[in-house]
Amino acid sequence: MDVPAPMQVPCRPPEQVMRLKRLGSMHQCRLSFMRILTRRMAREGWRFARPVFDFDARGVGRAVYSAHGPGRTYSLVAFGHDLPPEMRSDRVIATAWDATFTLFDGVPTAADLDRLSRNVPLQEAGRVSERELSVSRANRSVRLWDHVVAALADGRQPEAAELGAVGYLMRTTAVYGSGKLGAADYEALSDRPEFSAPFQAEMLSVYLTRTFVRDLVNHLARVRGGARAAELAPDLARGLGIGNSTGLGLGPFIINHPRLFNNWIATREQAIARVRALPRADDAAQALFRTVLAGAGETVANWTTEHPVQAAKLAALRADLATLEAHLSGGVLGGPQPWDRLLTWSEGALSEEGQELLASLILEPHGALVDDLEAGMADTAPDAFRIDGAMPVGRLRALIEDRFGWALGLDWSAPANCARAWYVSAEKLEPRLGERFEEDLEPYEQPLAPARDAAAAHAALTGWDAEESVAAFLLRHPEHRHIVRRMQIGAQAPYAEVQDNTIAADMFPVDLLRVKLAFFGATRFDPRSDRWLRIAMYQGAPYPEELAPDNADLWVYPGAVR
Amino acid sequence: MSLSLNEVAAQARKAARGAGYSWGMAEEAGRAARWLCAQGLDGCGLLLAALRRADTGGPGACPLAAGVMLSDGAAALSTASLAYRSVVAPALILPFAAGAAQALDRPVTVAWEGVEAVTDGTALSLAASGDAVLSGATDVTIRQGGTFAAPRAVCGRATPEPETWAALTALAERTHAPVTDGSRLRGAGAGLSDND
Repeated sequence: MDVPAPMQVPCRPPEQVMRLKRLGSMHQCRLSFMRILTRRMAREGWRFARPVFDFDARGVGRAVYSAHGPGRTYSLVAFGHDLPPEMRSDRVIATAWDATFTLFDGVPTAADLDRLSRNVPLQEAGRVSERELSVSRANRSVRLWDHVVAALADGRQPEAAELGAVGYLMRTTAVYGSGKLGAADYEALSDRPEFSAPFQAEMLSVYLTRTFVRDLVNHLARVRGGARAAELAPDLARGLGIGNSTGLGLGPFIINHPRLFNNWIATREQAIARVRALPRADDAAQALFRTVLAGAGETVANWTTEHPVQAAKLAALRADLATLEAHLSGGVLGGPQPWDRLLTWSEGALSEEGQELLASLILEPHGALVDDLEAGMADTAPDAFRIDGAMPVGRLRALIEDRFGWALGLDWSAPANCARAWYVSAEKLEPRLGERFEEDLEPYEQPLAPARDAAAAHAALTGWDAEESVAAFLLRHPEHRHIVRRMQIGAQAPYAEVQDNTIAADMFPVDLLRVKLAFFGATRFDPRSDRWLRIAMYQGAPYPEELAPDNADLWVYPGAVR
Repeated sequence: MSLSLNEVAAQARKAARGAGYSWGMAEEAGRAARWLCAQGLDGCGLLLAALRRADTGGPGACPLAAGVMLSDGAAALSTASLAYRSVVAPALILPFAAGAAQALDRPVTVAWEGVEAVTDGTALSLAASGDAVLSGATDVTIRQGGTFAAPRAVCGRATPEPETWAALTALAERTHAPVTDGSRLRGAGAGLSDND
């Protein structure tokens, strides 16, 4: 019998993967942080309880939702507020919200709740402690909220079409973690198995927030309708996620955390390469792929956006799905190296949205092959990188040329190449993007243009003997210390750097936000401008009382779990 | 006040930038302040002393500059000890000595009047008389080796004096661009109302 030799498929190169347009076309996959969390909670049999739920007829009050894992318990503490419409803003600089939250390490006492009630509703103006792991807030989707409460109070279910058009009853406007506002540092928690993957505390907070929102809407309908009121039907509730409004504040994150970002991208690329190396697709794998493809198709069909850039990408993606369907009918999945052939074909046949959706989908039948990779996605000591001063400058020069060779020939004084400047405003401590030639921003510019900075360091290296040390170079040029550190990080982290100009006149900032949100597990990306967007999280997910191994993973694909 | 170490690192980085350091040096300042706070020392107060010297052009040598020379040039310690004259807030050299110890895979000893500190790359062993570890400007010697006694307990929080934190905050605020109505709308890009 012929046994095919195991095939090795290399990971896609950074020059291909790390282009901003492609990063801005990425989709969730089974290594996304929400799905890592729901799989773990189901696998470990986490139990959930609601020890406190105390709200008045206007939705003002407090609730506690506890998640009991094998070793520890975490509790979402939720505060409901009566927010006048004129104060309802989804900008990060808002000062009041419909609901505010913190994730507590353990089960809070009455004294803890009183302390938190004086601080969490204030968000940035309050302080939390090392017992809290996150701080967040959310606003109602007013139109849908009123519709749902009115229908349920009247004993009816809300219109499925109305629910589908929005997709969530509340949207968060910020979820702060790791040390923010006094909360616990991630570094102090990273040895807990449940936090070994990135952003698990934040994802747990959002998961429990979704349950709170469902319970609150049922409560308000009951208050208004009394005995006549209906409960939101489980299948309708499942279709509701939590929305999120994300502005530029998130954009610099992937640039400011090059090693962490590398770990995310490298993990997904390794998973893709492992699946591409498979010699055959058995019947079960083919069937599951068909199932998730159909589910993804439904999500894409229901995905709406008015932004012209995303609308064009979405139209291309819909066409891609038809092209893919036609290609699959040719039997490619039954042939040799089917996943590799499929992805290779896609590079010439589909848009980047379609290519990246397909790359995510081929992972789905192969959890046993790829899920162990999730252990490598975190960075437990993000500040710890020490510059190697003994490195010869010849090596530093080669690192720059390897990663940013494309940037060395650019005219960095040309307005089109440096039109933007990233800065932090005095009003709120949030990153913004300004026009370098229209505003006086350069004194305040943040180091968020690695390509430009690498080119500058490369120019400064002119005339240096290759054998001289980086230490000697930095003694003369401390202004290049930031980019030298980045280049040394990148020596071990091939996907650390975006391979595009992050201050170009034609840069589309939403691309920076989208890739991070895709790794969170978000769907329905809806840019509202070139620099902020709305998304959905946990849409389709089982609620805590339903969570089980058979529904904890594929919930993101409509129809894939019963 | 009780601060997370991430808050200390972030504010220290911005404050150093506000005091005129390059971003790369400011990152070192953030790491150094965090490291000292994790060792239970007043990393914020020490950094503030260094930043005030830089900001006002005061006397003495910069401990951050001395620190990066030590860390970047760690290999030199294997053949000769180092001496710096009149270093402001010399304890700020300790985090960089830890980096050097990592690079050398050997302990590194830092000494100044009344203080002998040994680091193995992660932990710190400190013998100090009184407040000498927080001393102002003094001569410092650094050498490879040393006897690592009991490591200091690691702290997960920082508790700087409120005036110290306020002074770092004031320096950090220099990195913030003043707001104009135009930039407010254009910069972040989000809508103004969430009533939909």
